[in-house]
Amino acid sequence: MLTAWKSVTPAHRRYVIRTWAFMVPYVLICVSMMLTDAFDDIIGKPAGWGLAAAVSAPVIGQLWATLSLMRESDEFVRALTAKQFIVAAGLAMGLATFWGFAETFANAPHLPGWLIYAAFWAIYGLVSPFIKATNG
Amino acid sequence: MKNRLKLLRVERDWTQEQLGQALGVSRQAVNALETEKHDPSLDLAYRIAVLFDRPVEDIFENPHA
Repeated sequence: MLTAWKSVTPAHRRYVIRTWAFMVPYVLICVSMMLTDAFDDIIGKPAGWGLAAAVSAPVIGQLWATLSLMRESDEFVRALTAKQFIVAAGLAMGLATFWGFAETFANAPHLPGWLIYAAFWAIYGLVSPFIKATNG
Repeated sequence: MKNRLKLLRVERDWTQEQLGQALGVSRQAVNALETEKHDPSLDLAYRIAVLFDRPVEDIFENPHA
């Protein structure tokens, strides 16, 4: 594992560290919301908006980390990351749009909107192994 | 884009990592160039040409010629 860590570029190492820094608090807050009643008292109150903003901030942070990876990498990694990101974002938007209309027209069960973030990264992980060229 | 990058690198007994360091790009970028999965920018193509002391078209096949 240490060998693998040393073999990646410094930009990738910074990206992994930044990703962990943003994802750990995000997951902790999400898990706390789902498994405990720690935040029940603020539901429906103005503080609820603060909690929504707090749990959303790491999402913006992760976008910054991805843009930083592209800025700090060479032209191949930059182009490949952009291509993977665009494909995953497009599929995630397509999925969200499909489900939104399915809720409206087909009585599909309602899903919370914040699931789109997890769906995006799941799709990113699924499509990335198949996108290895920048010119095809 | 078809190229002779791997041949030139092997002639000098360089690894992809070493070539990447000489060019200021990652090993993955060198691999992508050699396997024709990435077309280099004009800037990178000129850097490669200078490193191997050859004209760009000696290294990269001009697809429009």
